[in-house]
Amino acid sequence: MAESSGLDTALKVPQTPRELEREPLVSNGRSLAWISDKVSEIVEGKTPIWWWIATGISGSVASLTFFMLTYLVSTGVGVWGLNNPVAWGWAIVNFVFWIGIGHAGTLISAILFLLKQRWRTSINRAAEAMTIFAVICAGIFPAFHVGRIWFAWWLAPLPNANSIWPQFKSPLLWDVFAVSTYFTVSLLFWYTGLIPDLATLRDRATSKMRKFWYGLFSLGWTGSNRHWSNYEKAYLLLAGLSTPLVLSVHSIVSFDFAVSQVPGWHTTIFPPYFVAGAVFSGFGMVLTLLVPLRTVCKLEDIITKRHIELMCKVILGMGSIVGYAYGMEVFIAWYGGNPYERFAFINRASGPYWWAYWIMISCNVICPHLFWFRSIRRNMIAVFIISIFVNIGMWFERFVIVVISLHRDFLPSSWDYYSPTYVDILTFVGTFGLFLFLFLLFMRFLPMVAISEVKGVTPQADPHHPLGGAKKGGHH
Amino acid sequence: MSESGSNEAYGLLAQFDTPAAVMVAAAKIREAGFRKWDVYTPFPVHGMDQAMGLKNSKVGWFCFFGGLLGYTTGMCMIYYMNGWDYRIEIGGKPLFSPFYAFPVSYELTILFGAFGSLIGMFSLNRLPRLHHPLLKNETFKQVTHDKFCIVIETSDPKYSENETRKLLKGSGSKHIELVEE
Amino acid sequence: MNSDKSKKSPGKAVKELFALPELGSKFLIIGGGILLLIGTVTGVENREQLAFSWLLSYMFFLSICMGSLFLIIITHLFDAAWAVPFRRINESIISLFPIMGLLFIPIALLALFFDTPHFYEWMQMGDSPDPALHAKQGWLNKPFFILRACVYFAVWSWLGLGFRKWSIRQDKDGSPECTHKMRKLAYAGIYIFAFTLTAAVIDWVKALEHSWYSTMYGVVYFAGSVWVTLAATYLIALFLDRSGPLKPVMGNRQYHGIAILMLAFTVFYAYVHFSQYFLIWNANIPEETFWYVKREIGSWWDIGILIVFGHFFFPFLMLLRIDIKLALPIMVPLCAWNMLMHYIDLTFNIMPVLHDSGYVLHWLDIASFAVIGGILAYYFMKRFSEAAPFPIKDPRLGEAVAETLHEREHQAQTAAAATDGGAE
Repeated sequence: MAESSGLDTALKVPQTPRELEREPLVSNGRSLAWISDKVSEIVEGKTPIWWWIATGISGSVASLTFFMLTYLVSTGVGVWGLNNPVAWGWAIVNFVFWIGIGHAGTLISAILFLLKQRWRTSINRAAEAMTIFAVICAGIFPAFHVGRIWFAWWLAPLPNANSIWPQFKSPLLWDVFAVSTYFTVSLLFWYTGLIPDLATLRDRATSKMRKFWYGLFSLGWTGSNRHWSNYEKAYLLLAGLSTPLVLSVHSIVSFDFAVSQVPGWHTTIFPPYFVAGAVFSGFGMVLTLLVPLRTVCKLEDIITKRHIELMCKVILGMGSIVGYAYGMEVFIAWYGGNPYERFAFINRASGPYWWAYWIMISCNVICPHLFWFRSIRRNMIAVFIISIFVNIGMWFERFVIVVISLHRDFLPSSWDYYSPTYVDILTFVGTFGLFLFLFLLFMRFLPMVAISEVKGVTPQADPHHPLGGAKKGGHH
Repeated sequence: MSESGSNEAYGLLAQFDTPAAVMVAAAKIREAGFRKWDVYTPFPVHGMDQAMGLKNSKVGWFCFFGGLLGYTTGMCMIYYMNGWDYRIEIGGKPLFSPFYAFPVSYELTILFGAFGSLIGMFSLNRLPRLHHPLLKNETFKQVTHDKFCIVIETSDPKYSENETRKLLKGSGSKHIELVEE
Repeated sequence: MNSDKSKKSPGKAVKELFALPELGSKFLIIGGGILLLIGTVTGVENREQLAFSWLLSYMFFLSICMGSLFLIIITHLFDAAWAVPFRRINESIISLFPIMGLLFIPIALLALFFDTPHFYEWMQMGDSPDPALHAKQGWLNKPFFILRACVYFAVWSWLGLGFRKWSIRQDKDGSPECTHKMRKLAYAGIYIFAFTLTAAVIDWVKALEHSWYSTMYGVVYFAGSVWVTLAATYLIALFLDRSGPLKPVMGNRQYHGIAILMLAFTVFYAYVHFSQYFLIWNANIPEETFWYVKREIGSWWDIGILIVFGHFFFPFLMLLRIDIKLALPIMVPLCAWNMLMHYIDLTFNIMPVLHDSGYVLHWLDIASFAVIGGILAYYFMKRFSEAAPFPIKDPRLGEAVAETLHEREHQAQTAAAATDGGAE
């Protein structure tokens, strides 16, 4: 049939023009050995002074959270400025903010893995670590927001003396399950990825301490292909499970709002819109961390400008989806014809918190569009600054959602202007210290880049590539 | 460890420089009919399972049954707690509905599925183990760096030191050594 | 290397291949057309049924056009090389937008000028005191409705013809400039696509029940559209691969890629539709719940269940395994099933407005489907045979087929080795 149709079955493949050639994932043709040397160096070398300073500062800032929470527990949850219709306060704003940050890590490690986006390998380890630390920061807020933290275990389905059970119709309980599952699975996924790299560190170790600890945690990994076969399958499955997980976590966070009837909260697009926003903010944070780190740790050949550019593009895409959702919300608020809903949106844009709304719009909808320009995507300072704006914008998005809807609730007599107290502010600032502190510990003691995975995407790793030892033209 | 009589030798180790070389060698070892042998690489080499003649991994089943167990646990737990033991009516909703029970059951599906996959992976790999003869070998340490190895165990019925050494040499390895138990 | 055998142009070969399907499409057009004529002249009741049937089939095929537009746009946005070999299929589909514009005319005429009380009820209500309509009269009024439709078709045609033009131009010399042009179209296109698709589905489907609203609605239609397009693309690509034109370039990588996206969109559709249902169920606000309540009456309930299982669980479980994505005895019926499910899904959205007591399969449904499908198939084949069956000079083609060529070389080698071994 093919012959009779007169089509040329011998295909002439066009040459790729120079301007459309793809940049390599590891620059300067680095060797496999170079990759493990370079990444292990950060862990094995002498502790740099800047690390001590940075860890000292972030540790001290983190202690703010500790002190503020001590004060809160000893005094009462009212120190958070919650004696107001906006009873969710900064606590829930911060909770959603931090949880959202985590989503980029899972997206990079799981979704990009399923999509076979090989560029993820350079950044996934750091991003996954970021996920775990962000979820830790997030968990603090709702746990203390319950008021009497020593009863927080009532959230768990455990038998208790009152012989009552948690109420599963409440989205807040769904949150408990979603966030704890998210934390656990992210940790498992991260650790699974670490095993081969810990084995690398074990085999390089010179001191007894290192040999023992890396040996212990690498679980006797040998790099056996029979093991790799099961390992890869498990990794694929974890990626396959993490993908619906990451979608569900922020969807469930959005259910906290959207299953209610509060104007500005109840709208059906909330789940995907929250997920997009979370990924958006998460990539903002990944860039905030990695842009300086790639220079400081001299990882420019592994975390290349191409990686940074690709992340900028993700931010651009997610920012656009978020922009679409903002637009749909406003349009349907008008189209739906519900006067309360309409008021909620007019109040957002022109009420007492108009500034928060417009900060959100400028940072989330307008600012990412700067990434249309290649020159900006490749300018590390510009990327860093925009990534900060993205973080700010996404914090304000949660502020807008939580505060503006609540401060004008259905009962006008309880309308009030909400402001945070110093305890609110310092608790939140402290979590940034905690986040950075944990991250600094991570980068000093664990391989910051997934060594074996980066090796796997180099041309030397491909048995069909000349650099991987394949003989040109011939076979066998 | 070694049940066979080959005294104090774990196996014969052959080192290779490139993934292509080790893959060609692996295909030869498989054709020669060895059973207790393995390829050791710094990263999973694409196509190696085929070259070694490995079957599709069974980890998927662990994941599937883990997930199934998670979903069932979630639904049963919520039915028992809110639909049976502690009935409480909220917002005019039914005492039990798969809709409101879905988010939690879904999360448990994923949680148990993830544990299933990992337990599956570790048990199929017989990991963790704190000791392995290969891990004492200095040459072998380069596997996690940038070298590729094939190890044929002495306990393989086809193993004979001279013949196997010849085979490995013929398959292109430049460095071959005996690994102690 | 290239022996000069039959020097027929590829277009001609494809035309020969299409001879039989073309006849089929003509038959569909004529047969369906006669039925439609009968339907139009036989009374008011049929006329309303005709309006709904036409709209249903129209939205089904619009899904495939919009899904194709989306696939083209993301192929360029992501610079996805693997999708290049079958790109011409979708490029030919999106060049049908002007025809889609013409096919819309019956909908507009039936809604505006004929006595069809349930067909866009808001158009018949005039200055009614209905507050839900009053609130949105700035959007839902006849002149603006027509104006919007014109705008949609204008921009869709512009995008569709634009992509096709630059892609065909590249066949001449493989100039990278064409790639850049298509990318620029894609940059603008993704925003235009998102907003026009949402607005169009609000106008044409959601506004059938004007008091209902849901911010997710555009996304739900989008998810279903891309899903059904992937199924259609899989089938068309397979046909063209098996019969010759795409044989040099289609490989496992391509089919696997389409099937993976299909799995992703199976999940995505379920996710967004579940979210919509779940939030409405939980909040329990009468302005919203009535839409689903209406769809639980009579056999609509069963249709709803069919969507849950047939649109999600069944394809999801089928597509989950890696090897199934290439197993044609499963994939071909599955793709056909997916297309049926999308049709059922649209039925669930559109038809309860007319048949509030349960699902009715009317002969006009079939007639409309035959006519619209026939016309589009006819023009699709015409467009497809006008140019090379795949972008022959696309700079990413080499990357796209590398894996396939490697596989084929390997197969040839093993086959040769086997015959050698046999000879010895």
